[in-house]
Amino acid sequence: MAAKYEQKDTILHVENLSIVYGEKVIISNIGFTEKNTVRPDKPQGQTIAFLGRSGRGKSTLFRALTGLEEPTTGMVLIPDFEKPIVNGQQPAKKVQEGDVGFVDQKYTLFRHKTIYQSLKYALRNVKISSEEKDEKIITYLKDWGLQTCRNQYPNELSGGQRQRTAILEQLLSSGLYMVLDEPFSGLDVGNIQNVKDAFRLINDSHELNTIIFSTHDIELAVELADSIYVLGYLKNDDGTLTQTGTILKHFDLKEMGLAWQHEFTADHLDITKQIKQIMLAS
Amino acid sequence: MLKKWFRPFEKIDLKQKMTIIGIWIALVLGYWFYASLGSKHLFPTPAQVWEGMQSLYNEGLVVHIGSSLGLCLQAAVISLLISLSIVYLSPLPALKPVAVFFSRLRYLPLTGITFYLTMLVSGARTMQVWVLVVFMSLYFITSLLAVLKDIPADEINHARSLKCSRWEILWEVIIKGRLDYVLDVLRQNLAIIWMMLVTVESILVAAGGLGVLIKNSDKFANHGRIVALQIIILLIGLLLDWILHVIRKGLFRYSTY
Ligand SMILES: Nc1ncnc2c1ncn2[C@@H]1O[C@H](COP(=O)(O)OP(=O)(O)OP(=O)(O)O)[C@@H](O)[C@H]1O
Ligand SMILES: [Mg+2]
Repeated sequence: MAAKYEQKDTILHVENLSIVYGEKVIISNIGFTEKNTVRPDKPQGQTIAFLGRSGRGKSTLFRALTGLEEPTTGMVLIPDFEKPIVNGQQPAKKVQEGDVGFVDQKYTLFRHKTIYQSLKYALRNVKISSEEKDEKIITYLKDWGLQTCRNQYPNELSGGQRQRTAILEQLLSSGLYMVLDEPFSGLDVGNIQNVKDAFRLINDSHELNTIIFSTHDIELAVELADSIYVLGYLKNDDGTLTQTGTILKHFDLKEMGLAWQHEFTADHLDITKQIKQIMLAS
Repeated sequence: MLKKWFRPFEKIDLKQKMTIIGIWIALVLGYWFYASLGSKHLFPTPAQVWEGMQSLYNEGLVVHIGSSLGLCLQAAVISLLISLSIVYLSPLPALKPVAVFFSRLRYLPLTGITFYLTMLVSGARTMQVWVLVVFMSLYFITSLLAVLKDIPADEINHARSLKCSRWEILWEVIIKGRLDYVLDVLRQNLAIIWMMLVTVESILVAAGGLGVLIKNSDKFANHGRIVALQIIILLIGLLLDWILHVIRKGLFRYSTY
């Protein structure tokens, strides 16, 4: 049963994006547009997944999407919510560092801050009392199974604990947009559920909330995302692969009636297989 | 057991470690006794060194050590303050060349710098302090620049994605996040500073210090005294090294290198 929805204003527009390191073109010709999805019965955020084999440029693209890296060509536009609406449209602006929350693939944290101190720091610009901040942090720590190591430094944490801390930091600090590079790798079943729940909570709480993530788990992407992009290398005429990542295919799961299903159906499996084919050939 | 001692990367327990160190010390001491036995010996005998030690003590060794340590501390504090200001501002493109320039200056010979310093400052003690400050700073700046350069881009990006302004990044990642490295830079350069200190003291004889003692012993070609002094200077240096290490480990739990 397909859910009813409407596509409204553009929330993310990427145009002719490419990134070159020295002589090497890492990604090129990347362009896509995501719109605000509105459902009649409930607030609905956006979940966008990027799939692609190792080295195809997912992390590189994410650094551009978050404004951490200046693209060699092209641009990333997001709505400028500080400006007044003109002709029923929010004016756009180029994405800048800090506009979009980012959890990188290595789960980097402040090396000199304990989990608790990191989360407190992430809340530094939020205008609530210190007690309220503490309460909020404690709740999160409990829910995410981090309360016992709240006073430990990153070097004293396991990979999964670091990762959850990195995700929590961004949950507490970022605005409407959040980019996560492989948020599910290295997590146990319970932690994966934590992250999934967090995604749902973010998506349910504001219609403009947008999560962009990458993963190597195709089924998980098909289950969670309402929009999937497959990154890969194009084929040359002679059948060899170029060494430049680009978008090979876009699956709009909303349009297919597969988004927000809360269960994995035969149709989902079919998409999974299609994606696998595309990835293997790229 | 012996087989274990000669296997690469083998982990051994503390007792065995101590045994190995003990054997080495015994070997060195044994060689010393043996080498100083004959009449035409290169090394003074342990007894001569012990005598030297006693005569040094009677000449106020402790006061001289205090004087040297005081000089070292004074120069280290001043030069750390100078170097840190220069290095912490080096992420600003406009000031970067200043830091790099000072770091290159370490190839200048000591005499050149003392020559210009004598024209600038008066008083032997002040002179000692500033010669040391100039030298230490050049080495500190070099090492601190290397620390900054080794900060992974991911750490900076992490702070950027948490809405840190550029100045907040400087404060959190560079200054607060690498405070333990500053202590380590001090420790790493201690050997060269300690060596320089004794040299500077013996060139600019002012308020005593270990350098003065060396110079005096030199004059009389008293082997026992010279070796005794060398041992004392070495041990104090090692002690300082160890103290800095303990302070770093104590203050910064996350400092794991
Ligand atoms: N600084 C750099 N200089 C040159 N090439 C780089 C640099 N950083 C990354 N690359 C190259 O860019 C390509 C894309 O890297 P990227 O990290 O974006 O891949 P990815 O899709 O995230 O891979 P994975 O799934 O393994 O994380 C790789 O081929 C890599 O070798
Ligand atoms: Mg990656």
